[in-house]
Amino acid sequence: MNSERRFDGAQLAVLSHRFQAIVRKMQNTLARSGRSGVLNTARDFSCCVLTAPGDILMAAQSPPIHVMGGPDLQARSLLEFYPDLHAGDAFLHNSPYHGNTHAADHSLLVPVVDRDGRHRFTVLAKAHQADCGNSVPTTYMASARDIYEEGALIFPVVQVQREYEDCKDIIRMCEMRIRVPEQWWGDYLALMGTVRIGERAVLQLADEIGWEALEDFSSDWFDYSEGRMKAVIQALPAARVTATTAHDPFPGVPDGIPVSVTVEVDPVEGIIDVDLRDNIDCVPSGLNLSEATSRTAAMIGIFNSIDHTVPHNQGSFRRIHIRLRENCVVGIARHPASCSAATTNLSSRLGNVVQRAMAEIGEGIGLAEVGTGMSPAEAVISGRDPRQGNGSYVNQLFLGTNGGPGGPHADGWLTQDDLGSGGALLLDSVEIDELKHPIVVHVRRLAIDSEGAGMHRGAPGLMVEYGPLDCSFEAIYANDGAVNPMAGARGGSAGGQSHQFLRDGDGLVAIDVCGPVVVAEGQSLVALTNGGGGYGDPLRRDAQHVADDVAQGWVTSGRAAEIYGVVLDRNGDVDEVATACRRQPPDRTGS
Amino acid sequence: MRISVDIGGTFTDLVIETMQGLELFKAPTVPADPIQGVMDVLRRAAEAKGVPLSEMLLQTERFTHATTRALNAVLTRTTAPTAFLTTAGHPDVLLLREGGREDPFDFTVPYPEPYVPRSLTYEVPERISSTGRVLVPLDEAAVDAICGRLLDADVKAAAVCLLWSTVNPAHELRVGELLAARLPQLPVTLSHELNPCLREYRRASSAAIDASLKPIMTDYLSSLTHRLRDAGLAGKVLMVTSIGGVLEIDDVARSPIHAINSGPSMAPVAGRAYAEAEGGTEVVIVADAGGTTYDVTMVRKGHIPLTRDAWIGPRFTGHITGFPSIDVKSVGAGGGSIAWVDAGGLLHVGPRSAGSVPGPACYGRGGTEATVTDAALVLGYLDPRSFSDGAMTLEPDASVAAVRRSVGEPMRLGDLAAADAVIRLTTEQMVRAIEDITLQQGIDPARAVLIGGGGAAGLNAAWVAERLGCPRLLIPPIGAALAAAGALMSDLVATYALTVPTSTDTFDLAGVNDALDALRAKCWAFAARSGVSPDRTSVELFAEAHYPQQIWDLEVVIGSSGFQTADDVIAFAADFHAVHEQVLGVADHASQVEIVTWGARVRCELDRAGTKLTVGGELATASAATTRHAYFPVIGMVEVAVRSLTSIGSEEVLEGPTLIESAFTTVVVPPGMSCSRGPSGSLSIAQSAAPSNAVEARETVHR
Repeated sequence: MNSERRFDGAQLAVLSHRFQAIVRKMQNTLARSGRSGVLNTARDFSCCVLTAPGDILMAAQSPPIHVMGGPDLQARSLLEFYPDLHAGDAFLHNSPYHGNTHAADHSLLVPVVDRDGRHRFTVLAKAHQADCGNSVPTTYMASARDIYEEGALIFPVVQVQREYEDCKDIIRMCEMRIRVPEQWWGDYLALMGTVRIGERAVLQLADEIGWEALEDFSSDWFDYSEGRMKAVIQALPAARVTATTAHDPFPGVPDGIPVSVTVEVDPVEGIIDVDLRDNIDCVPSGLNLSEATSRTAAMIGIFNSIDHTVPHNQGSFRRIHIRLRENCVVGIARHPASCSAATTNLSSRLGNVVQRAMAEIGEGIGLAEVGTGMSPAEAVISGRDPRQGNGSYVNQLFLGTNGGPGGPHADGWLTQDDLGSGGALLLDSVEIDELKHPIVVHVRRLAIDSEGAGMHRGAPGLMVEYGPLDCSFEAIYANDGAVNPMAGARGGSAGGQSHQFLRDGDGLVAIDVCGPVVVAEGQSLVALTNGGGGYGDPLRRDAQHVADDVAQGWVTSGRAAEIYGVVLDRNGDVDEVATACRRQPPDRTGS
Repeated sequence: MRISVDIGGTFTDLVIETMQGLELFKAPTVPADPIQGVMDVLRRAAEAKGVPLSEMLLQTERFTHATTRALNAVLTRTTAPTAFLTTAGHPDVLLLREGGREDPFDFTVPYPEPYVPRSLTYEVPERISSTGRVLVPLDEAAVDAICGRLLDADVKAAAVCLLWSTVNPAHELRVGELLAARLPQLPVTLSHELNPCLREYRRASSAAIDASLKPIMTDYLSSLTHRLRDAGLAGKVLMVTSIGGVLEIDDVARSPIHAINSGPSMAPVAGRAYAEAEGGTEVVIVADAGGTTYDVTMVRKGHIPLTRDAWIGPRFTGHITGFPSIDVKSVGAGGGSIAWVDAGGLLHVGPRSAGSVPGPACYGRGGTEATVTDAALVLGYLDPRSFSDGAMTLEPDASVAAVRRSVGEPMRLGDLAAADAVIRLTTEQMVRAIEDITLQQGIDPARAVLIGGGGAAGLNAAWVAERLGCPRLLIPPIGAALAAAGALMSDLVATYALTVPTSTDTFDLAGVNDALDALRAKCWAFAARSGVSPDRTSVELFAEAHYPQQIWDLEVVIGSSGFQTADDVIAFAADFHAVHEQVLGVADHASQVEIVTWGARVRCELDRAGTKLTVGGELATASAATTRHAYFPVIGMVEVAVRSLTSIGSEEVLEGPTLIESAFTTVVVPPGMSCSRGPSGSLSIAQSAAPSNAVEARETVHR
């Protein structure tokens, strides 16, 4: 950390606003012009500006799994393969073996080069694709044994523009392999427009402020952010906590995937150390984490646990040391291990266990666990639409989310969904989904009593049921949380388990954890998503809040009494005396 | 004579239009009885003019009213207890909203409550498909049972939103009939009648907000009308709506949701009039700087852009109105915004505001934190002896102490440098708000005129214009009450919409033309009710269209003849490609275009022939020139000329640094800029003809 700052706090604030304006501008452009639902509805994309050596300077508000511990690796791999960068270059990068999240996230990197040909900054935009050429119609092929079975086209830093002109052979390759080529092309255009807008904005800022001043700002901004992070860590108690969790059994991993982390807080040095090395090797499944998602998931777990106003950039990241191992399931996956589902299931498990470990070091820190799986309510469905001359369709639904975690300050966020998205993704409208696909959504409601109980409870899961109308469809998903529910923290309880069924007439049949499942006319898929874990002892929950939960149908009165120790009278008001009796700690005389 | 009144959070503004020009009066808003504030300001105006109130009102042919009454009722949850009836299986439409979360790392924000609690949500057994087919017939016995539960729950209003009621309204209509039969006194809103848009959350939210406002707004509007009539008003009473037009009181009482964004929608109407009077321009950015917020709106080629994403409260945690509304971007960067320094030494301004109580430190009402107003006072921009038309004196020492403690000491800056830093960061936040909205609309601010309105606008508007590269800044003479002035300049406006999903490659010619005919009929019925003659009524049809798979629509205007042949469809597609290219930078000419919603706008022009822009009365009084010490970056504290706005002659050009004062505002003209007075009486500020550093910097940007 440099002690000599070149800018005062006011100048720093103004310039940080300027860079924020640039990434927001990029973000808005991509949201408005994207063609696939995953871009324009779910907003599964991110934009950031990096320094020339590849440090993350400013990222727009986006799904956290995209932007924390990956873009720097990607920018450095760009420098490794293309040490000599020119204005007008653009590179496609989706390789999880070179710093990208997973193959379905296509990133475009553009170097910002000054008039003298010097590389000054790099802008990056990353967007989840509707299809990435996998062997089956899903972008999360969790059942893939390796990259060959996964089948995605991999671009390990491949030049797609030179002198601002497309390298068309790359585009032709994508068109031959990606299932919905027009949609992919529309999204590619949106992505390219976004990085070019970012490039132009940085050039304009440099014209006004000067390149040296911008580089000085970068250095000061990192120091400021690192200082904030250090101060936060110095206020934590010294601790070393090991915590464990496990992903449910899955094709290729019949016993599930145990995860263990050791978090060590060193308030004297102002460092948090996260050790992920004591875990199993990569597995023959698409659940393996890439290096980017291992680092990022651990960092999300830390940043979720502390003051959220600390800026998230390479400066504050310097205060987190993450120890990874090659060929580890939560480490550095090496080719040809598949990382197809690296942004969801296991990365949410990893971030969860980190924030739960943080919770154990003291009151007011950390979080409980949030859902980790992609239930059938978020399936990729494919089939033919009888309303459109039996034309074929493939699309991911975002009909139902997992419940968010209880924390030191508030109950869980109902539509949090998972760790990596941070709740930023949007939920589909039933009418939009029924207009776009030949389906009927029969039910979407919150699942009563599925919240993880706590002083601050987790959010409940949702019950979603949908089926085809006048046809059939195939659904692929990748669930978790049926065997190992989302744990609570600091005495909070686990959230409700997930389930998936096929309804055929009156009967419910339990179905596979990931599909594919064919759903015929007259049948429907039933998904119960995970409830989030609770934080703190449920007996310490404000009794009035429990009464409100009962009145609003989130929790039954039986559960209120049994788990929360809150007894309600006939009007639904708290029976203070009965509640006090029930909540009284067990008699300890004689101990 | 015409009168408009805008009830704001702090002040109730009255603008009166006479032969002499516009006159402005202010009285404190009375939160417990806002109509009392209206009567107070009317009395104040009558006294100033030396006529009895009854005589002034007798001469008033039109009384136009903007109020935050409906908005405040929603924000403070004082609307009527309302029931929500929804399709069985979908009780959580209002709770789930459309997902999303503002800051992924902020776990201190609790999940927001639904607009109607789940305990007042009732599931109606029925189901209609996306094509209008009945999948589950309506269970009328179940609806009857729900009526019984509504009686028990003692609700005062009900909203009904069933899935796909826009395509087949039979079930929703039948539920409406059953409710009317069992509960004839209960105000009910049916979603497809109020707002037939796609996406159940938006339609349900519209219906729920509307129904919940009916009881209080009916009371409010009838009380307002009675008290004005009792005081002698003979003319029409009109109400400002969210889309920048006015409606007659009865129309508002029928659908009170239209009055939600009543206030901010009028600033661009006034801004447009002043920009046109000053020579016109394609793009006008209107910035209204109040005590707590900075509201940005725009005008593009004479049109004020609307947004479909209008939220009450913050996006994701508030409630969507589901209706088009003037596209307003509000940020917490007003005169009362508090400046503070974080643990790492970084300066912040807002989002907390000192409001009007306790207010900035210089108000001497117990505020101790430094606000933007305090910074302006420290820098010498404000006259402590006559703030807000002399209604108040300010305490400079309190400002200095607050700025020193909150900003100067933690950043190790002197008082002046600290205050200047606050103004500079505020400028940056305002610029960001403007860039957000110009980007959404695909507009380059460097080609726009900036209009500064509101009491706090003049403090840094010149720097905002400079940062954006706007060639010209206008401060209208009535700027301190831009919204109230706009209310005098607006027309009767209504919009209608219908859902007919189709695509340019399989175009439903008959279905679309039927819908357009129905929309035209609704528009002309509105015009007939208003009494405005057909030659002063215009009807505009439009489509909300997108490329396949896109979900955000762009609006494309449809020619008056509608769709006669396949060529009309091709021409429509070409229009869409052009709009897409203009707003989003690219077009996909090979692609078909999809349309879900068809809309129509009717505008009945009100008599505006006599509308004045210049000011009369006390506002026109010029006071003598003086000087004051004020601080400017680079040159420091200097003695500058202080002139009153109305004293500036038509040929006069004043070079900055200088301060221009009018009754309710002070305008800072920094070094390197100059100002003059235009035909509308507005202060026009531009880069000075004389070279300066600032000019050079701007040229490099646009090279």
